[in-house]
Amino acid sequence: MSTDTHPGPSGGTGADPVSAGVIHDIGYRAYDGPRVGRGRIAAALCWQSLRAAFGLGRGAKAKIVPVITFVIMCTPAVVNAVAIALSRSHDRVFDYDTYTNNLRVLVTMLFIAVQAPELVARDLRSRVLPLYFARPIRRRDYPAAKYAAFVLACLALIDIPVLLLYIGTIMQVHSGSQVWAQTRALVPGLLVGLMWSVLLAAIGLALASVSGRRAFSVGSVVIFLFLTWTLANVLTKIVEAPVRPGPVPAGPGAAVSTAAVPASAHLFGLISPYTVLDGVRQWLGGTDPGIVARPGGYGIAYGVMLLVFLGVSLAALFARYTSVSVA
Amino acid sequence: MTTDQAALAGTRPGEPEPGPVIATTALTRRFGGSIVALDELTVAVGPGITGLVGANGAGKSTLIKVLLGLLRPTSGGASVLGLDTVTDAEQIRGQTGYMPEHDCLPPDVTATEFVTHMARMSGIPPTAAKERAAESLRHVGLYEERYRQIGTYSTGMKQRVKLAQALAGDPRLLLLDEPTNGLDPAGRTAMLDLIARIGGEFGISVVVSSHLLGEIEQICDHLIAIDGGRLLRAATISSFTQASQVLAVEVDEGADLLAAELARRGLRPVAHERELLVRIDGDVTYDAVRDAVADLGLPLTRMEQRRHRVEEIFRSDGRAADVD
Repeated sequence: MSTDTHPGPSGGTGADPVSAGVIHDIGYRAYDGPRVGRGRIAAALCWQSLRAAFGLGRGAKAKIVPVITFVIMCTPAVVNAVAIALSRSHDRVFDYDTYTNNLRVLVTMLFIAVQAPELVARDLRSRVLPLYFARPIRRRDYPAAKYAAFVLACLALIDIPVLLLYIGTIMQVHSGSQVWAQTRALVPGLLVGLMWSVLLAAIGLALASVSGRRAFSVGSVVIFLFLTWTLANVLTKIVEAPVRPGPVPAGPGAAVSTAAVPASAHLFGLISPYTVLDGVRQWLGGTDPGIVARPGGYGIAYGVMLLVFLGVSLAALFARYTSVSVA
Repeated sequence: MTTDQAALAGTRPGEPEPGPVIATTALTRRFGGSIVALDELTVAVGPGITGLVGANGAGKSTLIKVLLGLLRPTSGGASVLGLDTVTDAEQIRGQTGYMPEHDCLPPDVTATEFVTHMARMSGIPPTAAKERAAESLRHVGLYEERYRQIGTYSTGMKQRVKLAQALAGDPRLLLLDEPTNGLDPAGRTAMLDLIARIGGEFGISVVVSSHLLGEIEQICDHLIAIDGGRLLRAATISSFTQASQVLAVEVDEGADLLAAELARRGLRPVAHERELLVRIDGDVTYDAVRDAVADLGLPLTRMEQRRHRVEEIFRSDGRAADVD
């Protein structure tokens, strides 16, 4: 192979022999450096996808939804910090594990509906997948990297505001025992965020990868998440209506005691991933009121449903990429 | 670097391979029960530029995908760079660049970003990936344009980006599936020159598929012709080109008269659809045809040196073969 650097007429300027002739032809240079394996390649794909989930490395338009959702998500934490500072009380305005449930549902819904297609539908649409599969990664490495990236993205969206809530609170706290108490309350709150991320990222990517057309991709996520969420809410309200007179202000089950909740209300809570997540949270000892009534004996059903949602979503996501055509 | 050292180092790019770059043995691939894409194909491909010619649907793309380990052979086997396509697919893909036939570029990133990312996906670390992306894009002739989004590119520029991403991983072998598809004549020539340079100066073995023999015969050292998944012919380039030097003559009327006249002048015309095909033996042939048409006073519609489509050249019992 030729690596000739055309010694030619580099004279004249003479001062810097390198700068004279580099541009036109240094010939082909082979790469002799280290090469990373499958794992590191998948990690690189994961990192690139994580950045893409927040519109980094893309145009300004791609950053609109991630930035807006993140700012909205942080608002309660900021409100909390201001409120505590002004009132000089040491009581948090929001719990770590519930944060602001309804806000969190709507914001994650928007984020997932817009950003999950960004991670998977784009590559399907531009038919870039054969290029990935012609490289030294395996078929399943691609969805695995995308899933890991989206879990981290959702985790950042959900748990960074929770951390801000914690920081805003302990800034006004002066005794070590109170800081310890806050920290102990924080950890389950962060774990709830992880649970949300693991499940919602799987559902979001599985739905977003059904089609390369962005509109269909966004639509399937929105329709599934919003429809099941609305359905679970409406049905729960209907069956709870006889128990408590008047309109329900916050959410279904808010301030409704466990004893008064009919069994059907618990079952309707199994329809939506969000109500399932909240049921599991309370079953595992989280604070109430939450989105759904305290599940009590139905806790195990919520737990099973969570695993079903997760299992089906991941199976669908990975199946999508074993069947995708390389042509 | 001597050949011995190359053999020891094993993975030095650009050095001649000790054995065949690609070898298939009775390679068969079926889709479903009935469709046979590759049928008992046995070929060996050496270093250099190898043309893979066949009509659309002849099995070219299927062969490339089997070689990359993306499709499993139904029976038979194949090896690339001495590695088995079923058991060592990842190692093969680590040393092979692939340029698909279809569009495969995201429109909303710059060529630099895209090729850098694809270099990383080939296992090149971040800093080196940037350098290789810049170099690959320069080799394919994209300079300032590389900072523009790919969506704004012409077809020719997109083909270059597709080639650059295949080159970015510093492969020992490039598999190019119909790289000239959709290009205008000037773009085709530029792409072919580029491939010739990669195969020659860069020292990377290249397999380039095309349904137009006349097009790739200019740059290939070897040719493999397949049809219906079967090997039609594998040979060095010279034996192919002789067969494809053909002059096509079309007259509005009196084709029979012309055929007789040409035969009288020592040419052996072959009727093909509305044309007469005549083997070219230099300027004499053109003169003879011109004179024959003029003498007979026939309305000459067309006279051109034919770039044969593969099926005409290789149809084993075809009329074009009689031209020889």
